[in-house]
Amino acid sequence: MRTSRGVRIVRAVTIAVLLVWSLGPILLGVLTSISTQAEVQAGQWLPTSMNLSGYRALLTSGGAATTSGFVPSEIAAFGRAMLNSVVITLETTAVLLVLAVTAGYAFSRLRFPGRRVMFGSLVATLIVPALAVIVPLWRVMANLHLIGTQGGLLLIYVSANAPLAVWLMYVHARELPISVEEAALSDGCTRFQAFRLVVLPQLRGGIAAVAAIMALSVWGEFFIPLLFAPTAATKPVTVLITEFVGKYTTNQPLLAAAGILMLVPPALLAIVLSRQIRGLLSGWSG
Amino acid sequence: MGSPLFLVIVALVFIPLLLGLRLSMQKYSYGIPGGFIGLQNYVSVLRDPATLTAAVHTAGYMIVAVVLELVLGVCFALALNEPFRGRGMVMAALILPWALPSVVSSILWLRIFNPDNGLLNTVLLRAHILAEPKVWFSSRGWAIVFIALVHSWGVVPLITLIIMAGLQGIEDQIYDAAAVEGASAWQQFRYLTAPLLRPALAVALTTGTVIAIAIFDEIYVLTGYQLNTFSLMMQAYQTTFTKLQFGKGAAFAYLVTLATGLFAIGYVWSLRRSEQ
Repeated sequence: MRTSRGVRIVRAVTIAVLLVWSLGPILLGVLTSISTQAEVQAGQWLPTSMNLSGYRALLTSGGAATTSGFVPSEIAAFGRAMLNSVVITLETTAVLLVLAVTAGYAFSRLRFPGRRVMFGSLVATLIVPALAVIVPLWRVMANLHLIGTQGGLLLIYVSANAPLAVWLMYVHARELPISVEEAALSDGCTRFQAFRLVVLPQLRGGIAAVAAIMALSVWGEFFIPLLFAPTAATKPVTVLITEFVGKYTTNQPLLAAAGILMLVPPALLAIVLSRQIRGLLSGWSG
Repeated sequence: MGSPLFLVIVALVFIPLLLGLRLSMQKYSYGIPGGFIGLQNYVSVLRDPATLTAAVHTAGYMIVAVVLELVLGVCFALALNEPFRGRGMVMAALILPWALPSVVSSILWLRIFNPDNGLLNTVLLRAHILAEPKVWFSSRGWAIVFIALVHSWGVVPLITLIIMAGLQGIEDQIYDAAAVEGASAWQQFRYLTAPLLRPALAVALTTGTVIAIAIFDEIYVLTGYQLNTFSLMMQAYQTTFTKLQFGKGAAFAYLVTLATGLFAIGYVWSLRRSEQ
């Protein structure tokens, strides 16, 4: 498209709006998290000095609050909830990657009986909303005494995310030229060697993207753990933080600090992923 | 490797789906199993005035969110479609809100809508548009608009990417021809880009609608159990896990699923028809 001056100005304005829309609320959160409640109350948007007491309280389970000899239970639980979130995210992502890479590759290359039925029903679960499954699933899990256990949560996350993970890897694996594998096989590689030495390295970009998408999905999940992870040993930080809201409306810096701490891992993943997306959309050079 | 995965999916998706169907036709509260009652749960959900209210709220969330997502999505996608210096960084900024947990997004936006010292009231008071601070979430209309806005903050990136993918599929040459004919930028958009973008827009519309029907997290954080903002998902959740009416809850879930499916089918059908 030939770009006139007018079009260029409109585009620059749009980009500016995009940046304010995307980053504004986050910037505001960062500023609030380093303010004091007095500054927030007075409507002072730029804090005069860095106040890290919110972060300190959260990360040292109490910190400043311990001086009064009393640590509210939600604050004390924050570190544990963060750990729960990190552990379940890593576990689920690892299991999903193994499943997705092997199953995605198998569906794209191997011919085995029942392949079509299996793949079809797997993809069909993509359109089944979680809501339709959750009520009976909750009863199944309750009967198996799996509610509030790490294993139960892992099982649900894997089954909820596997269809998308497998489908994404299948799409990636299907794009790979089959001739390279055939060459490896005719050079005396076993099927497994060909997979490990030839296929896996080519799938690296896809693996990174799928891992990032799955990790983001698990990290941000709220509805599932609200029902299936009510115990201190499993409760993730997304569920815990909702207990802060309301209780800490009089300590906005603390609430904001909790939000910012939860935001760091997904923000880093988003940056990794944005590079992958540029690769996915063809004709990108910017 | 496909088979164990398949077994897990059968056990955790297909079996619950069938169990749910059976459950939805039983009189079953927590710990108190009852007998088969046919479609009575469905009838009681549909007759419940709270269902209608929740459906109206959900329609409100859906319309505000989808309109906002499509308008911003198309604008952002068009602006990002051509290379410029720093586009990589703008892309990272674009997808950031999508990557954040919706619970965190809601907490960030709470700082803007806070009645005492939020950004919105501060700005409106200083500009003398408001005479006194407004408690936005106590008004049903404003609450729905602002909750939908927070919801769409996390969905706009996805919609933008879908539309960008659609724009990538349009050949550049047609614009050259149009420019030779003297078409303005607006005319090129109106008569070339918009019609060719129709399939991508349909995908974006379906995605936006399906996500919006299931709106839950943002409401839970921003207004909680405040009844005048209840969505269908909140209502289904409360029926099942607060009132512990499992049979009715399962019927509710099936009805919402059915409605979601109908929307998706409707969009695909209208797209097919418009192409002929």
